[in-house]
Formats: sequence, structure tokens, C-alpha cells
Amino acid sequence: MNLNKLLKWKQINHGILQTLFRSSSNFKRQPLVAKVDQLAEIKRSRFQGRSDMTGLEWSQLREFLINNFKHINRNNVDAVIMGVCNESQQLQLAKSYIKHLRENGNEPNDATFGKLLRIYNSVYHARGGNEKSLTAEEQHEILEIYKNIRSKHEILDSISCENLIYGLVTTNNWKEGLELMEMMKITASPTLPAYTEMTIKAFRTKDIVLGWTLLEQMVELRKQPKCEIFLEYINAVSADVKTLTAELDRLFVFLQTHYLVITEKVAKAIVELSLNHSHILSAKLTNLQRFGKCSSCSLHLENVSLCDNDFYKLQNAFLDKVLIRNDVFQKSTPEEVKNFCEYVDKTGPYDCVIDGLNVAYSMGSKKPPQAYANLSLLLFQLASVVKYFNNKNKHVLVLGRKHMNNWPKKTMQYVKDNAAMFLANDLSHDDPFLLYATLKSGQRTDFFSRDFMRQHAFLLGPDLKGIFRRWQQEHQYSLITQTNSGKIIVKEPIRHLICAHKVKDRWHVPYKQQYEQHVSDSFEVPDCWMCIQLLQKK
Amino acid sequence: MLQSIISAVGKIRVLELHKATKQLFYIRRFATVNTSSIENHSSVKDASDHTNVRPPRKTVNPFSIKDPPSADGNAAPYNPAISSEEKERRLKVLRLEVDIANQEGRRVPSLNFFQKYHWEHVLTLPSKSARMKYYGFLWQVEIKKQAKLRRKEEKAADCQERLEKLREEREQNGHIIYGLGHVSMFLRIYDSTINHWMNHRLIRAMQYSPKMVLDCSYDQYMTQREAENAAKQLMLCFAENRSHDDPFDLHYCNVNLDTPCMQSLQRYIPTMLNMDFPMNVHQKCFTELFPKDKIVYLTPHCRTDLVEYNHDDVYIVGAMVDTVNNEPLSLAKAKKLGLRMARLPLDRYLQWGAGSGKSLTLNQMIKIMLDVRKTGDWRKALSHVPRRKLYDQQNECTRGRNDLQKGANRVNVKIGSIMEVEDFTEEVSRLRSQRKKFNVSSWGAKKKGQQGS
Repeated sequence: MNLNKLLKWKQINHGILQTLFRSSSNFKRQPLVAKVDQLAEIKRSRFQGRSDMTGLEWSQLREFLINNFKHINRNNVDAVIMGVCNESQQLQLAKSYIKHLRENGNEPNDATFGKLLRIYNSVYHARGGNEKSLTAEEQHEILEIYKNIRSKHEILDSISCENLIYGLVTTNNWKEGLELMEMMKITASPTLPAYTEMTIKAFRTKDIVLGWTLLEQMVELRKQPKCEIFLEYINAVSADVKTLTAELDRLFVFLQTHYLVITEKVAKAIVELSLNHSHILSAKLTNLQRFGKCSSCSLHLENVSLCDNDFYKLQNAFLDKVLIRNDVFQKSTPEEVKNFCEYVDKTGPYDCVIDGLNVAYSMGSKKPPQAYANLSLLLFQLASVVKYFNNKNKHVLVLGRKHMNNWPKKTMQYVKDNAAMFLANDLSHDDPFLLYATLKSGQRTDFFSRDFMRQHAFLLGPDLKGIFRRWQQEHQYSLITQTNSGKIIVKEPIRHLICAHKVKDRWHVPYKQQYEQHVSDSFEVPDCWMCIQLLQKK
Repeated sequence: MLQSIISAVGKIRVLELHKATKQLFYIRRFATVNTSSIENHSSVKDASDHTNVRPPRKTVNPFSIKDPPSADGNAAPYNPAISSEEKERRLKVLRLEVDIANQEGRRVPSLNFFQKYHWEHVLTLPSKSARMKYYGFLWQVEIKKQAKLRRKEEKAADCQERLEKLREEREQNGHIIYGLGHVSMFLRIYDSTINHWMNHRLIRAMQYSPKMVLDCSYDQYMTQREAENAAKQLMLCFAENRSHDDPFDLHYCNVNLDTPCMQSLQRYIPTMLNMDFPMNVHQKCFTELFPKDKIVYLTPHCRTDLVEYNHDDVYIVGAMVDTVNNEPLSLAKAKKLGLRMARLPLDRYLQWGAGSGKSLTLNQMIKIMLDVRKTGDWRKALSHVPRRKLYDQQNECTRGRNDLQKGANRVNVKIGSIMEVEDFTEEVSRLRSQRKKFNVSSWGAKKKGQQGS
């Protein structure tokens, strides 16, 4: 019994080891963990449960930090200490430190005040985030600090601006934060935390218009709005029952236009909202069945097809942006591009375009095929794919490279007889040709490749990238595997939309488990969806 | 060869020879420059109007790519024309940024560390994250400088003590002192002597050896940091070529002296453009200097391996550090000019590891080519590839074994019996040493049978 277990372990481990050793391609430096841990150690040992420290203890702490840490010197020790007391219950500690500094005759520097403002902010949020969270005295202090720092410099840098915004949202003068955000734009784009704080405050004070402006700006800069913003928004609009459906509709349209995915927290909040107002809103958590059918309302999701306008834009821009770019010699040669365009005009339009090499190598042979047996196996796959389409009477184009002329002649002849074939130079990139041929043939053509086409999506630029991804989602077939009997298993493209959209009168909104600051392209259908029906009162 | 130099007569002879060949060489070079070019393309070492170090005229190089390409069409190069007031205001805000970040304890150097050229560079950076990375680098420089200063002071204190002790001893000691700097049987060989000797060899190589070209036209594709790295590698190329037994005739082509790369190189080798320094710096392209059918462009992006080194061909290495930009630029250039291309046969002789990429530095390339020319053996030449890039079988085996052990421990399986290291190497060496026991009677005998085979 032991031996069997061990053999299984060896098998599993072999696979794991292979992936471990082959997946690392970039040298990654060790993250600097040591220093942060030491500071956390200090925080625990010295600050735990205390709300005040004597002047002597503060001086000792200062000396300890300066002597033991190479990156801490007299200039930054104050801000570091303030940074360590960053929890809301340590406000008193922070205040006592500043008092100690003032007693010794050193006025704390701007960074120290900035950190103090951050502590005030966390206290404000911890105490509920309404007007009474901080005492009038504290709010006055915050405003004093703000005026002080603002008066020292004409234009402030982005770090100070962010700190000041954190402080201002706890008071009534928070609208001056907008000026600060404009100032931030001079040297850097306003940070996500700054936007988050301002938007949350805007929604809390029921200034919906301002909140939306900030949201639009945020998304323009490609920052992902945090769940707190949406939660705040839902709270704000739930007060007024008359406009509730309109506002929610606006939110969902926003999610649709910018391909945003909300988190589980927000989804649950919407469900709760629907329970309170069940006569105008019904929301359920659901999932999708085959072919994009919603489990709860049994409606099929919308088709993902592009409108004609978008498709033409993509078609025209493609060759120039991806293949030719600045120097056509990097990916191909001018004669080859010309030949290919002529060939496509002559033998097109196609029903499907196949990436010959990608399909042939889909079984994952790591070394180039040396043995004849391997070669014939690869080619067999390609031929099977061609056969699959042939049986459905479709006209296909196969793309390859000139070295494929050396592959076994009989099977190559079968491919050449049943499909149009174009062989590019061995040194050229064949993917742009593939996409160009597919686009040229119209909206109904699909292509066959396992490649994610990330490089080409990037080269198209941010405005065309979304269009390209949607088109790719609708039209990409990929080969999964081939059975011994010669049948092939393919992964069909996802023909329905995977962002938030409306079907008849019901909104279908996908959601994810956790918030991510940087979202990468997803090629899978989201698991969790919400089915929402907004009922008009009339 | 060194012996001949050490004897005084030999030394003088070498120097004479060096001077003689220099004169010969310059006459010959001027001849080729004047007769070959119809329009007056000024090569950098034009003797006629050579008053200062910089070349008189800049010629248009038809093969250099002028405009820097951008990754996607939207990003314009970050150099909008800004007035000096605007610049002042911006600088003020950036100074404040540095100050606040420093006060917060971030990896930013103190304000008084920054020099004018630092601020010049900061102003060209496009985004805040780029600036923070540059500040991080400068912070490291500052910390290293402080540490160096501290260590220097400590060392100076120690040194003083040692010198005191030594002086006391010397005073008490009445005998002759033997040693370097006092009485010694070794002649002192100065650096300049060795330099003269190496330069002489290099000048002889210029007349008779095959040529190697470093194509310096890739400056627009490199960032500031990469350009400085490239300059260091170019300097090392020259140094290693010079100190090898059979140097190449090294030519630096497509040189544009205003670029950061070339300016750094001039800082490394200040006498680079001098008349009597044996370094060929050309603003022209290599196609104007050498016939196209003899040129082979070495690029890693093509498919054909370099099978055999041909002594008649001129090999070109593109002087580019391509950590950031991985477009096949050298391939594109060679295709456009219609030149033959090749890459080093790395896959045939080496097994590459999973760690770093398959890129080699310029000086490693030159070393490999020098050895290939000298020995014709690719294995010996490719020993200059750093060992850390290659597949380390020993390490991988032990790592695999450790992982397996860990996994087995987790499921409580004993695999000691299977994991016994069957170390054949020890056995074999033991047997061999047994066989090779020293036997006096058969020592030196012609018969081979008794001694180990």
C-alpha cells in the first residue's frame, strides 16, 4: 500500500516539479520583508494597550530607532513613529508624541502632520463616518494643519495632497479636496485612495452629481472603484424610493459601459436592498447554465456581436497597428505583406482560418519534432481539424511557415487539397496574418488558435483593445485534445456577453469574490451572477 | 614574451617597433580614407583638420533609424517644449515631493544629494512611478556612499596604528629591508609599459587580423540605464580584445557622439578619440566600410546557427542592451540591408537553465568570437557563457529529492530505502585508485597491461 502511495506521489511530484522548474523565467528579487516586520514587532511590544508614553520613553524610542535602523535618521524618525501608530485606538498615543516633540522645541515636519491626518481618518471611519465622529476641537485642529501646510507652498506634491484629502474628508470643508485633486494632476495622476475618499464623502453627503463625476474620472484613468464606493452609493440612493430604480439603472449602465465587475459584498447589499423594497426591486444570486441561460429567470443572455461601426474600425486599423507599425521588417517583409493581401482577396472570404502551427503543436511537445513519427502525429492533428470543417462544408484557410513544406507529403497534400494554404517566411510572425484574414472575411468568420493574442491586443491601443477582446471572445475556437480514434475536442467560443447587461427587462450582473486593484483579461465565463428586475411603479 | 620585455634592450626594441608601426599605419590609413570616399565623409580620425577631440562635421547616416518608435501610437515622447518658468515651477514641486517622501521614510535620498544632472533626468521621466524608481536607485547610491565614508574612516584609523608600529620596527632594525618597494630582485613594470605593448599588438592586429564590428546605432531604443550599461560593455569589449593573444580589428560603427551611450563611453575611455589611441570609431555605417557580401550580422532572433567561423567574413554585433525593448531590431536591420544573418550555436553545445534569459553581454560575445577564431572549438569558446545561466543538474537533482522527501513526510510515508543515494562516482574513483596502486617493478616499463587502463 505504501509503495502505491509513493508511486502516485512520484508521479504527481514529477509533474509539479516540471512546472516548478520551467515556469520561472524572470529573476525576482527577494521582497524587503525584514524591516517592516521589525517595526510591527516594536508596535506590538511597546504600544500595545497604551494610550500615553512619557517624554523619556519617547526619546528612548527615537534613539533606538535611529541607531538600529539604517534607513531611519533624524529627518524621518518622527513620521515613521507616527506611521507605526496607525490604528484608530492609537490616536492618543500619536497626540502625546506630537506634544512631546513640541515640548522639546522641535516643530513636527509636514510628513508627520500628514500621518496624523491619516490616523484621524481611520478614527473617523471607525466611529461611523458621520459628522459627529470627531469632536469639534479635533476638526478644528485638522483644519489648522491644512491651512498651515497649504500656506507654505503654492503647489503641493501628490503625497501631501493625498494626506490633506484624508484629513479634509473628516470635516465639513471637504470640498476643498477637489482643488487638491486638481493640484495632484500637475505631477501625477490622483491616486486611488484620494478618489475613494472623496467619492465616499460625496455620496455620504448626498451629493450624487459630484460622486458620479469623480467615478467617471476614476474609470477614465483605468482605476478600479472599490466596493466601499458602491456600498455608499446604494446607501445614499436607498433613502429616496421614487428615484431608486432610475439610480440603480444608472449604476448598472455604468458597470456595462466600463466592463466593471462588482464584488460579493456589493452584490449582497443589493440583495438586501431588494428585500426591503420588494415591490419595486427583485434581485437574486444565480448562476449560468449551458449556452448562457440564467438559472432563475431562464432567459438567454445577449449575443456578444460587435456593431458594424466597431467592426470596420477594427478591420481598418488592424494591419497598420499590429503588423506594420513602425518597421515592417520586424515582423515580416513588404513583399510578403503584399502577397498575403492579394492571396486573401483572391481566395477569400473564408468560414474559418486555422493557425497551422498552433494547432499542430497543441499537444504540447516541448522540443521541436525530430522524429518522423512525431511529425506525422502533429500533421495528423492539423488534418483532423481540416476534416472537421470539411465535413461541415466550410471554406478554410490554413496559415503556416515555409518549413512546413518539409513535412510528410501525403498529409500535406490532403490539407492543400481541402483548404487554402499560405506559408509565411520562417522568420515572420504569423499571428497578425491570421487575424487580418479573419477580420477581412467579415463578421461571421471564426479562427482556430490557442494563443491568447495578448501582444496584439496591447498593440491596438486602449480604445480598440476592448473591441478586439469582444470580437476574439466571440470567434476563437481552440483545440483541447484529440482522441485516439481521430475525433477532435474543441473549445467553442463564448457567444454571449460576460459583462453586466440587460436582457428584456432584467439586468444580469456578474460579480467576483474579492476586490482586485489590477484586473487582467479574463477568458472564462464568470461563475457568479445576479439576476435583477427593476419594476416601475406605474 | 614578457621575458623579452624585461630585459632592457628588449624594452627599447619593443617601443621602437611600436612607434615605427604607428607611423606606417597612419600613412596607410590616410591613403585608404582619401582614395576610397568620393564625397568627403569625415571619419573621426581625420588628421588634416584635427584641432580638438570632437569631429568637425556630422554626416547623415542613411541607415540609422531617426525617430524613436513608441509602444502604442498614443504615447507621445515625453519632451513637450516647456518654458523655463514652467520648468522652475515643476522643479519646485518635485523638490517638495522628494522632501516629503524623505521625511516619511520612503526610499528617497535627501534633497542635498541631488545634483543638477539628476534633476535634468528627473524632468524627462514620464510618470510618478518612474520617478519613484529613479529615486530608489539614487537612495541606494546615497546609502552606499555613506557606508563607504564610514568604512573609510574606520580603515584610516586602523591604518594609522599599523604605520606607527611599522615605523617603530624599522627604526630599531639595522639590516637591509627586502621586499617590494625596498630591495627586490623584481624589476618594476609600470602600467604604461604594458599598455604600450598591448597597443602595439592591437595596431598590428589592425593591419592583419580579421575585423569585428560593433554596431552602435541602437541608442534611441535604450533607456538611460541601458545606455550606460551598454557603454560599460563596449569599454569591456575593447579591453578584452586588447588583452587577448590574437586580437581582432575592432570597429565601432554608426557612432553618434551626442547620445548618452557614447558620452558614457567617453567617460570610461577619455582618450577614445585621440589620434594615437588604437580604437576605430566611425560615424559611417559598416556597409560603407566593408563589402556587403563579406558581412554577417550576428543576431539572436534568426534561425540559422553559425556553424563554422570564417576568417574572411566581417562579423557584426549589435551594441544594444535589450532588457526593456525586446523587438527584433537587429533582425529587422539585417533584413532591410539584405545581409547574411547568423546566431551562435548555443542550443547545440549548451543546455540552458530556466533562470535568466538567453541574452549575452557584448564583452561575452567578443570573448566567444576571439576564442572561436583562435581554437575553432565551440565548446571552449562557449565556456565564456556564465555558468549560472546553464542547467545545473546537480542542484536540480537534490532539489527534486528534497521536495519528494517533504511530500512523503506530509503523507507519512517512509521512503528512506528508495532514496538511498547510489553514488556511483565514489565507487568508480575508489576502484580506479585501487587499480592504480604504485608498483615499482613495473614503473616506467613499456608494458601497459599492469597499470590501470
